[in-house]
Amino acid sequence: MDTAIETDRLTRHFGKVEAVNDLTLSVPDGGVFALIGPNGAGKTTTIKLLMNLLQPTSGRSVLLGTPSRRLDPATLRRVGYVSENQELPLWMTVRQLAAFCQPLYPTWDRALADELRRGFDLPPDRPLRVLSRGMRMKAALLCSLAYRPRVLVLDEPFAGLDPLIREDLVEGMLRLTEQEHWTVFISSNDVDEVEPLADQVGFINNGRLRLAEPVSALLGRFRQIEVTLDSDDPLPASLPPAWLLPEAGSRLLRFVDSAWNEPETDRQIRRLFPTSRQVSSTPMSLKAIFVALARTWRSTAVSKEVL
Amino acid sequence: MLPFSLTFRSGIPVHDQVVYAVKKAVVSGRLRPGDPFPSVRAMSQHLRINPNTAQKVVATLTGQGLLEVRPGIGTFVARGSASSAAQRRALLSDEVERLVVEAKKLSLEVEDLTEAVRDHWTRLSAFPGR
Repeated sequence: MDTAIETDRLTRHFGKVEAVNDLTLSVPDGGVFALIGPNGAGKTTTIKLLMNLLQPTSGRSVLLGTPSRRLDPATLRRVGYVSENQELPLWMTVRQLAAFCQPLYPTWDRALADELRRGFDLPPDRPLRVLSRGMRMKAALLCSLAYRPRVLVLDEPFAGLDPLIREDLVEGMLRLTEQEHWTVFISSNDVDEVEPLADQVGFINNGRLRLAEPVSALLGRFRQIEVTLDSDDPLPASLPPAWLLPEAGSRLLRFVDSAWNEPETDRQIRRLFPTSRQVSSTPMSLKAIFVALARTWRSTAVSKEVL
Repeated sequence: MLPFSLTFRSGIPVHDQVVYAVKKAVVSGRLRPGDPFPSVRAMSQHLRINPNTAQKVVATLTGQGLLEVRPGIGTFVARGSASSAAQRRALLSDEVERLVVEAKKLSLEVEDLTEAVRDHWTRLSAFPGR
């Protein structure tokens, strides 16, 4: 199994709203893929299509080799799914919930379930109803990890939770990586949270996947550039298309280079701005990159592919 | 507890930050040749990073001769790692290069840079243990 998740021109419309549009991606086995995007970008719809909780308008998705539309219990037993708005039987205690889930999964690992419950600091005998939202999320994650799924799908797991709970969730999630086969597909609008976790990141905006690539490649090719100029020359009519959000003022040019390569960028700057005196390039966080891209998408026509 | 410390800064690949933290621990003597090095899993859990990244850190440091993997036993700080001043200096080559590049961009002379380094050195030496 080399590919854990695949989508092929996946599309879902709600009336006239194109919630997910022509989305094609491939998530290899053995890593963390983070789907990042603003609220309403189509993250949850994508995940629901993947989990067969929604039907696509067109296109298709495949989970562990099985088309989402034909997900069978045998495949679902190898997939964990926790969503922000997880519905749980609130009258049950954590212990009862685990006992309820256990017979559904032949691979249920009782020792792991116990370890997770202790690690998550979950009270075993209090009904979920009286527990905080964070505690309920941990209970839901426990029940999705204890059978050691090969794929774990998390829809906005961190939204609105305090840092301690987030750390618990991440630690629990990382337990999965002890296995031979594991893949995590996580959607989030909290870019900082996923930066140290993700191998690959996909940016989705208005239902379209705008880019998907390894985090290291993305951090490598983006730089915030500042050029000190000798005079107040106006900006040339055309700048390299990889330069995003250019701003000029009082002998200073600032832009985000999305194809940074030190000698090449320096050469371009010297060619366009012969009076440039000093160039500084600063690495950008995933969040800063995301913000720069989102601004660029907003300021250009939807049809124009900038990257 | 991990034998090296780091606080993540966003924008720099996690891999590079961990590699740097380990090198710093070796240079400062906090990690000594022959010391056991944490497993990929322990690093992943403690730093809350992707184990693939932790794996790459070990591969990088092994490739650079700082760690040695003894199959079936574990990973250790390589014997002879950072034993000579030249090797210790080599650990800093990336940082020195960065410093030189930045200094040149600011049109500083090599004397300016060495003076700045010397100033900083003197200031830190006033606080032994750093």
